[in-house]
Amino acid sequence: MRQRPWLVLVGGFGGLLLLMAAAETGALLFLNSLRHSGTELQAHFLARNRTLEQIRSDIYLSGTYARDSLLAPEVSGARAQIAALEGLRRETNTALDRYAQSLEPEESAPFRALRSEIEGYWKVLDRTFAWTAEERSKERFAFFYEELIPRRTSMLQIADRIAGLNEESLKRGDEKLGALFGRLQLSLVLIIAVTLIGGAALATLTIVHILRLEGEVGRRLEESVQAQASLQELSAKLLRAQEEERRALSRELHDEVGQSFSAVLMEAENLLDLEPTPEARPRLESIRAVAEKGINEIRNMALLLRPSMLDDFGLVPALDWQARETAKRTGMHVHLNSELTDELPEEHKTCIYRVVQEALNNCARHAQASSVEVAVRKESGKILLSVLDDGSGFDPERVRGMGLKGMEERVRHLGGTFEVDSKAGRGTKVEIALPLTSLNGNHKNETNPHPSV
Amino acid sequence: MKQIRILLSDDHNILRDGMRLLLERQPGFVVVGEASDGRETLDLVQTHQPDVVVMDIAMPNMNGIEATRRIVEKHPGMGVVILSMHYDESYVIRSLKAGARAYLLKDAVKSELIAAIHAVAEGRSFFSPKISRILQEDYVQALGRKGADDSYELLTGREREILQLVAEGRTNKEIANALSVSLYTVDTHRTHILQKLNLHSVPEVILYAVRKGIIM
Repeated sequence: MRQRPWLVLVGGFGGLLLLMAAAETGALLFLNSLRHSGTELQAHFLARNRTLEQIRSDIYLSGTYARDSLLAPEVSGARAQIAALEGLRRETNTALDRYAQSLEPEESAPFRALRSEIEGYWKVLDRTFAWTAEERSKERFAFFYEELIPRRTSMLQIADRIAGLNEESLKRGDEKLGALFGRLQLSLVLIIAVTLIGGAALATLTIVHILRLEGEVGRRLEESVQAQASLQELSAKLLRAQEEERRALSRELHDEVGQSFSAVLMEAENLLDLEPTPEARPRLESIRAVAEKGINEIRNMALLLRPSMLDDFGLVPALDWQARETAKRTGMHVHLNSELTDELPEEHKTCIYRVVQEALNNCARHAQASSVEVAVRKESGKILLSVLDDGSGFDPERVRGMGLKGMEERVRHLGGTFEVDSKAGRGTKVEIALPLTSLNGNHKNETNPHPSV
Repeated sequence: MKQIRILLSDDHNILRDGMRLLLERQPGFVVVGEASDGRETLDLVQTHQPDVVVMDIAMPNMNGIEATRRIVEKHPGMGVVILSMHYDESYVIRSLKAGARAYLLKDAVKSELIAAIHAVAEGRSFFSPKISRILQEDYVQALGRKGADDSYELLTGREREILQLVAEGRTNKEIANALSVSLYTVDTHRTHILQKLNLHSVPEVILYAVRKGIIM
């Protein structure tokens, strides 16, 4: 589930939708066929009923024709009736044949009886046509009331029974349809229940999963925020430690190593004063030269690490020195314009000094500037610094070297803002603003811990 | 010849020993005491009343610049030679403002040290040639940056003469005697010089003179 939540979601919701679609289609098809069956059943019943009605009416009518034919004194006088009877006979037979085609099993016995009754009826009736006039007048009433009417009644009764059976069959068909409809209902209820339960389960799963993901995202976010904060704290600590180390190293070099070289120099001078042998003199002079060189190198190293003016006299003398030094080293015109009077907190001092140092380095190294303007001033509780050069410039959106990043980092640690404005061929302006009431109160008023001057 | 009484002030023992040996061999020099920090220096100055104090800047308890300020405040005539690793003008100007009259680098040779002690004992100034050179270079560069408005050109010949004497540490009276003019005239010239050069104190005049190469 963790690896492929999309698969579960697609599978779950897709399955549910498919199930619903299948259930609806099935129900629709089933309903359609039910309606069709119902219509067919109805038509079937009506057709058979009509056939039976015809048989009954034919039989009934035949009685009338038979009576009329018997009323005629001569057979010859009943030709029309006899012909009509023949017609009825044919019609009845056709109807019987038609009905026989869709005979229900329980109808077959009464239907056979009806058929033989009708056969017998026609046969009996046939006899009368052969009667002489005498026979007719003598027999006809008896025949009519005792033979013909009872037969007709019996036939009609059978036909009624068949009609009753036909109705029953219709009823049975209806019941069957009703049962089918009930099954459809049941299966629909089942499908709806399954869909609802499945949907509810899926929704619950999805909700649980989403909530869990949400929780996880929240946790991760918090973690990453914390990680970022601790990373920033770490980098601030590193910067402080680095600065502290530089300061200690610079001082150590200056005050200890440098002094030792001075002592060596002094002792060499002493020995030179004591009229050394001609062999010793050049050696002593060489010692003196080495010591002198050593002092110079140590001093330069110490200044590069961290200029002692920064700790001894403050920011402006250090910036002054940096400006002079850069000018001397690179030939750039560096103009420092400082309106700072009171001393700054240690971290602010260091930050501004390092930013200026880096910016001047960039001007000399990358921008090939010929002149740089460094301005630092205090305004409404903020230290504002700008370094403006007339060099080649660059696109700050694309180029973001370690130097710029380092500057920005230093400034951000003190809650300040850092901006670089530059365009290719139009110089570069670095601007920072450091709030003096910095948020991290720990280091707010940390002044020089190692004052020497 | 009057002996020059010297107090050494440096937290580095070996260096101090070496310096003492070196100085005591010089005729006319006597090392009257050694101090290893600023406060001790003040005490020993009080005790021995030396003519010259040779002072390091970076020292525990009280740094050399502060010690110089206090010494000169109390004993205006006492000569202080700063002997330091620092060559930046910020150290030089602060030492001068504190009242030191000579500034040497620790890689200075013996002759510079001896010359500096003699100079301040006589009330003059002295700078390591290397310091002078650095200050001059910086000054020339700064002038170049600002568009070369060299105010030295505004000074008259007499004013230049007086500027040099002031920078060498002469008092108004000495200058008046040397130039055979009145004290009032010297004072007027001094005021004009400070105005024209936009300077405000003797140390600034000295630094200016060094930068211009007027004095060494």
